[in-house]
Amino acid sequence: MRSLKNLNEVNLEAIYKHFEKLCSGCDKLNTPECRESSCLIGFGKRALRFSISKGVLDIAGAKKMIPTGDFKVYYLEVIAPGLAETCRQCRQCQDNHSPDCVIALARTCLEYTVLQSEIDYPGSVFQYLAKVRDQAPELSALIAAELKKSS
Amino acid sequence: MGEALFRQKNGLVAVNIAAACGVFTPGQFQGLAEAVREAGAGALKLTSRQTVVLILEEDKIAGLAEKISGLGLRIAPYGNAIRSVKACSGGPGLCPRALADALGLGIELQNRYMGQDVPKDFKIAVAGCIRGCTDPHCADFGLIACGKDAYRVLIGGRGGSPSPERGKVILEQVRSSRVPEVLDFVLARYRELAEPGERLCKTVGRVGLKEFIPPFIAEEPAGSLQDDEFGEFLRSGE
Repeated sequence: MRSLKNLNEVNLEAIYKHFEKLCSGCDKLNTPECRESSCLIGFGKRALRFSISKGVLDIAGAKKMIPTGDFKVYYLEVIAPGLAETCRQCRQCQDNHSPDCVIALARTCLEYTVLQSEIDYPGSVFQYLAKVRDQAPELSALIAAELKKSS
Repeated sequence: MGEALFRQKNGLVAVNIAAACGVFTPGQFQGLAEAVREAGAGALKLTSRQTVVLILEEDKIAGLAEKISGLGLRIAPYGNAIRSVKACSGGPGLCPRALADALGLGIELQNRYMGQDVPKDFKIAVAGCIRGCTDPHCADFGLIACGKDAYRVLIGGRGGSPSPERGKVILEQVRSSRVPEVLDFVLARYRELAEPGERLCKTVGRVGLKEFIPPFIAEEPAGSLQDDEFGEFLRSGE
């Protein structure tokens, strides 16, 4: 696992808040059907909690464990802020991008909730937004609008 | 196997000295400094292969070689030989980005393989994470740690060339204890298949990558070596 250079280097709590917000609006919350390991949002929360508690950025092999069979429906408007937050926190590792990076894991989980397939992350936010625009222009516009709020 | 001795334009000779992937003890450093001073060289230069080079008169080389041998150092190999190994400072308590003990593995590989004869120069690089500070993609045999004691293996890279080549992945998730088996296999195939003086990237391009993939490793189920700590965490409480 890649250790964080500094726990302040990325703000994983900021991403986690978006996942918690999504969770709080779920009908299955606090019911026997709520199982984090088989829920995209729950998985993202678990990965983030694991990363924060262990102080690691990469979780080797975690990408393969994403529960892609979760087909709960979400609106683009509620997913876009979380995706924008992953863009804010992304270290833009370019060629060194790892799909097992916890930020990438969170982004991939969110993508699966609203897209037909995940985006092959190019390692840079700018190129990523261009790729999202090709597949889902409306989502790309929403993410860009969220990012503008913080610029 | 040749030695890394290079005649300079001014008639002096550059001597390349290898340590354990660039790691010197204080005693080695001190002894080396004394030997270099006695040999009449005014300076040492660090090289991109984690060795040091100094320039001196030819008749001083033998004396220098004897002295550094007593320090556990040696003149680096050159020519058609396995060169000194490059390894990053990934190790217990060292680089915070490292996933595995790249330095320990690099030193082990250097001790075991450096100087062996091969059809053309053969460079090994070990990196403790995907950042690859030791340029594992540019090595004939590159290792990139991708998990706790798990390495991605690339072959056929070539740097320092007008025609650089990027190494190609042959295996994922190989334990450090099995890396020598993989390297032995790659070297055996290289010696068997290469034309005289042919660099590994050329041999791979000519005969194909499959010839260099060890079947005894590839048969292992993918992911079997992964650290399942996260998996356990994921399932916990449910």
